[in-house]
Amino acid sequence: MIPQYKALFAFLIITIAATATFHWVMRNTGNRKPLNPEAVSKLRGRFAITCTLLLVAALALTLPHFPYPRGSEIPDKVVFVAAKQFAFGLSEAPIANDAQWEAASQGPAVRIPANRLVEFRVTSLDVNHGFGVYSPGGTLLAQTQAMPGYVNRLRLRLRNPGRYPVLCMELCGMEHHSMRGVFEVIPADKD
Amino acid sequence: MTSARIAACLAAGLASLWGQSEVSPNQPPNEDLYLYHSVPDIAVQPVGKPATPLSGLWRDRPLLITMVFTRCAGVCYPFLRSLRAATELAAKPPSGYRVLVLSFDSRDTVSDMKAAASGIGAGADEDWIFATAAEESVRRLAEATGFWFRWDGEKRQFDHPAVLLAVKNGRLVRLFAGGRITAESLGSVLRDLDGGFVPSYPLADKTSFRCFQYNAATGGYSLDWGALLLVLPGTIAFLAALLTFRPWRRRGARAPFPAA
Amino acid sequence: MPPSTLAADAGTLRLRRNTMLWALTAMALFLVSTLLGLFLRLFQGNAFPAVEPVWFYSSLTLHAIIMVGAWFLGSMAGVHYLLARYVQPSSTASELAMGGSVAGVVLIAISTLLGKFGVGWYFLFPLPLYPNGVWLPWATAVFFAGLAILAVFWLIWVLDLLRAIARRYSLSVALGWHILRGAKEPEVPPLVLITTVSLVVVTAALVAAALVLLLFLLHWSGRARVDALLMKNLTFLFGHIIVNITLYLGVAILYEMLPAFAGRPWKTSKLVAIAWNAVLLLVLFAYLHHLYMDFAQPRWVQVAGQTASYFLSLPAAAVTIFGVLALIYRSGFRWTMASRLLVCGVLGWVIGGIAAVIDATVAVNSVFHNTLWVPAHFHTYYLMGVVLMVLAFFDHLSRELTRPDTDVRAAGWTLVLLLAGGYGFLAMFYYGGATSVPRRFATYPEETLQGVIQARVAAAFVVVLFGTLAVYLSRVAARCLRAFADCRNAS
Repeated sequence: MIPQYKALFAFLIITIAATATFHWVMRNTGNRKPLNPEAVSKLRGRFAITCTLLLVAALALTLPHFPYPRGSEIPDKVVFVAAKQFAFGLSEAPIANDAQWEAASQGPAVRIPANRLVEFRVTSLDVNHGFGVYSPGGTLLAQTQAMPGYVNRLRLRLRNPGRYPVLCMELCGMEHHSMRGVFEVIPADKD
Repeated sequence: MTSARIAACLAAGLASLWGQSEVSPNQPPNEDLYLYHSVPDIAVQPVGKPATPLSGLWRDRPLLITMVFTRCAGVCYPFLRSLRAATELAAKPPSGYRVLVLSFDSRDTVSDMKAAASGIGAGADEDWIFATAAEESVRRLAEATGFWFRWDGEKRQFDHPAVLLAVKNGRLVRLFAGGRITAESLGSVLRDLDGGFVPSYPLADKTSFRCFQYNAATGGYSLDWGALLLVLPGTIAFLAALLTFRPWRRRGARAPFPAA
Repeated sequence: MPPSTLAADAGTLRLRRNTMLWALTAMALFLVSTLLGLFLRLFQGNAFPAVEPVWFYSSLTLHAIIMVGAWFLGSMAGVHYLLARYVQPSSTASELAMGGSVAGVVLIAISTLLGKFGVGWYFLFPLPLYPNGVWLPWATAVFFAGLAILAVFWLIWVLDLLRAIARRYSLSVALGWHILRGAKEPEVPPLVLITTVSLVVVTAALVAAALVLLLFLLHWSGRARVDALLMKNLTFLFGHIIVNITLYLGVAILYEMLPAFAGRPWKTSKLVAIAWNAVLLLVLFAYLHHLYMDFAQPRWVQVAGQTASYFLSLPAAAVTIFGVLALIYRSGFRWTMASRLLVCGVLGWVIGGIAAVIDATVAVNSVFHNTLWVPAHFHTYYLMGVVLMVLAFFDHLSRELTRPDTDVRAAGWTLVLLLAGGYGFLAMFYYGGATSVPRRFATYPEETLQGVIQARVAAAFVVVLFGTLAVYLSRVAARCLRAFADCRNAS
């Protein structure tokens, strides 16, 4: 299952539980009775501890899955990405000026071998953009910001061959929605 | 690859986005063009040891390669000396590493290389390997890493850049180009070899008030002036609260309610 | 505390009149902005193929600024009114804020609607400096002038409320530190505690906004090249906090109003004091979750961002939610439109909070950042959270000031339609986020065409929502107008 659906299901389950609790309490607001302060206090303590434990567990489970690369694995390929209103230029050579960006954004799609670790070095030549890598089927796989003055390094290993679109994930002006880039993942043996 | 890119590699390699970057034939090689490429496994002839393929040298630990010629009157010896000094100063990664000084001049013999080793005081160092290789092999290595050398008949010298290649498991992880190497820049190269990684680095430009500065010596970030601006709003807010509430006012000075 | 005291024990005529005026202003802006929102969703549903995308982005900018502004001010008005039970805030400050807000919003409306300025409500550096011939050069200046006016006049109001609190309470009492030490006296109402925390933090946000404007000017004038990462940090420090604190001001109103319906007191307990002091510390760092995809932030900053965002949910949300449920359970709770709105507002806050915590997880943020999941969560705790809480206040106060008969059945239907329209509209945002639809796209590319259908369905729900709101708010507004006129006549 894609991580988006996992998150959606987690959200739905907790939301349904919370809503059910609210509903139950809201149905039991009549019939005035004084509450036992000690029982309330005990329950409150348990609730606070449960919430804390859940949060700590969630932290412990998710912090190791940071998307920022770490470790000694050497990428098989570097792809340079320069964003500029309103296209992404992707190239195997560094993109340092407008002419190179134009050539990269209009030229043939960069080819990447499947199942190999690829490093995208992402920057922007003007405003903030978001480098969002989508699968050929339209699922957002990963992203990093394309920021003027910085090079962000996103490492990905893509299994399935196909044309991968790149969409802009940060409002960058009037053609933000049509800003895109593309690269092609090819079977590794053809590389 | 970590990043004294901020200082070193950016200045030389990835040209600043705000400027020029056409590659001229006399420029040192651009690291970005060769990054992570495979290094050809050529055979070399080390001083005092049997011939070996490069893979024999990088199999168990990272390998730093620099290419020189012994009759050099230019950059070779100053560069080698700075490298030698830097290796003594920079912290050694746990896995250790080897340094290969390879001659690209076909006239150089093994004994020329031996003399060069003694010349910079590395003759007895096990981790420093001085070697020669077949002319064709040297060409292959140079082509794969962007290194170049041309005979200048007038000066009777080779024209060439000074380059340090950092190789791990046969792949080029860093390429350092420049007249001399400092302990700090070597430290950043070694950290890359050791698996350190900085997910982002700033481009060299005249930006004011950065939030963080990458510190190649420690491999960590330090706060820069911009970070001060980041804590300013919170600080001003707390000061405003203090000035409003004036906790130093004597007790009983508060208005009772309803206030007069 | 009987519910009828809202009107009786606080409020000079001037205060009541001002509050009614704020209520009318906030509700009118809310309706206008909801219409803009409907336009945005219709646009994304390809309903206006002939209209240029520039209108989408400038409407988006205006929609967000109005919503953020209207409800920040609405909740400030509520808090101001309720605070007057304990302290004496200055009506002049509130009136100045009204004048400044009108001027600021007019300038911003001019820059977006006439100047076509469309950079999003938090105007991320350096986009405003790249008009590319799309928006007119003066629009940037007018927009910033509008923002500067808002920041200054809002700050005046914020500081005046703090001053009023400081006249009666010392800082340690206002922050409940004596309760932390185990003392019971002097009593400090949760309203005062939460408001004090919120106002201090809002001051930081407004200072950050001012800094952003100054740095923009510095960059614009060519005197310095400003770091984009610093600007992003400052922008979200300001943007996140102002929205977050609006919510907390709504919660302050909740703490003050709900006991009246439950017939039980809701005092500042030790846990409540701990919770809101923790908020004071954590809320300044929670904004970091907006920068997870900026790999230029050091790893420890990202860890701090996730930790702060996670634990921010604990004190404010967990303590308050439990408090609400314990307060109303078997209390003989008096259900009116206002009290229903309050409790539904808390539920909206909870649901939006769950979605927010999920998105504040770095590993998840990598596929949710700037997708429709983001507007999904903040629309939940805004539209179905704080807006309902503040509307509850307007509804209740205007009812008390005019004492009309209550039509409970009509109120029930209004609420059902309001929730159906609201959550139906939100469901499409959540579904959009889970299906990778990016946010802030005027039209959708072929990879995310599901966004078009979602936008159309959402638009249908917004029509229901808007219709219900128009009917309901017009009733509240009629009462507000009557109360406003009464106050004027009486004075």
